Amino acid sequence: MPIDEKLLEILACPKCKGDIKLKEDESGLVCETCKLVYPIKDEIPIMLLEEAKSFGETK
Amino acid sequence: MRLLITGVSGFIGSSIAKKLIQEGYEIIGIDSFLDNYPKKIKENNIRELLKNKRFNFIEGNILSLNIGKILDQVDGVFHQSAIPGVRASWGINFNQYTEHNVNGTQVLLEASKNKEIRKFVNASSSSVYGDVNELPISETTPTLPISPYGVTKLAGENLANLYFKGYCIPTISLRYFTVYGPRQRPDMAFHKIITAIILGREIEIYGNGEQTRDFTFIDDAVEANLKAFLNGKDGEVYNVGGGSRVKLNQAIRIIEEISGKKAKLKYVDSHKGDAKHTYADISKGKKDFGYSPEIDIYEGLKRQFEWLNDNLDIYR
Ligand SMILES: NC(=O)c1ccc[n+]([C@@H]2O[C@H](COP(=O)([O-])OP(=O)(O)OC[C@H]3O[C@@H](n4cnc5c(N)ncnc54)[C@H](O)[C@@H]3O)[C@@H](O)[C@H]2O)c1
Ligand SMILES: [Zn+2]
Repeated sequence: MPIDEKLLEILACPKCKGDIKLKEDESGLVCETCKLVYPIKDEIPIMLLEEAKSFGETK
Repeated sequence: MRLLITGVSGFIGSSIAKKLIQEGYEIIGIDSFLDNYPKKIKENNIRELLKNKRFNFIEGNILSLNIGKILDQVDGVFHQSAIPGVRASWGINFNQYTEHNVNGTQVLLEASKNKEIRKFVNASSSSVYGDVNELPISETTPTLPISPYGVTKLAGENLANLYFKGYCIPTISLRYFTVYGPRQRPDMAFHKIITAIILGREIEIYGNGEQTRDFTFIDDAVEANLKAFLNGKDGEVYNVGGGSRVKLNQAIRIIEEISGKKAKLKYVDSHKGDAKHTYADISKGKKDFGYSPEIDIYEGLKRQFEWLNDNLDIYR
């Protein structure tokens, strides 16, 4: 069962409060601004900065 | 109807969620899996719930989530997240108590302004009263907490009242009196006593065991939440007690009887911040929303004992 659509709408990046996008493989939620991925484990979005992984160049 | 529960993987939050799902509501649940006790215990609390399509869980901290957007989507709030427990609130970790119990509550209330929330039910505590001379304790008894934890719960409750007065957020605070039953927090007395009895271990009792408590069975506390949500009066505080007053030593005798084993007790000094006696006058909740606890201490302890006996592995 994929993650709930309505839930995605109400989630935002805990760091910048900006919009997040679902990764194509549904393994995480991406904040382009902060270059962070928040993991989704067992359909549970983990919206904690400590759990997020950075991608791309880190400044 | 969609409802928000904060602290949803905790003892009381998960029990409220279970009931509300049974009643047909849709739930958004938030929990940050704070390390006041192991994550695996909290995960177990919501394991069954996660299978239900009407239960949506977000692992996150109410202090950093975009809570406003979430509140746009819900019709009611059951605010259960906090750092509970009196003893650990003394000392250098007090800032965590202010953060989660005071700031967390304020952030949620602030974000509730101008939303269509039917009711904001806030979890408060009998610890706001402190040591009271006259029993039973009614809602008009002065609030003079004797622990730092009680101070933060009183602050949270005062904030809820202020946001009702200032912004018409329909808040209600429920002052729980020692809640027990299946999934009770592992730092609480009955959990520790039952575990020790099952394992044949010695258990420390703080004080002489003659302290009395108004123990509230979890299902009754849950029922109080649902009834207060439906019919409670906005801006009010209500006691949620179990309807009887029991000495800790009496409760231990009951657990011995249920288990058929003798407890190995070691009486040690009582802790600063523990009230000597609690006993709730629950007539206000009865009058306003028909609160009437149904499970007595014997039946309640029996259910907790049986549940813990079956689930002890999760706690070890
Ligand atoms: N258990 C009792 O007897 C009792 C008595 C009086 C009052 N209370 C109150 O009832 C409520 C629930 O207590 P409980 O016994 O279920 O405790 P609990 O620790 O089992 O549950 C509280 C949950 O809140 C979560 N949490 C804490 N801060 C958070 C944050 N910032 N964001 C998201 N989640 C957060 C924790 O991870 C935990 O799972 C608390 O407000 C407590 O103060 C409990
Ligand atoms: Zn961001």
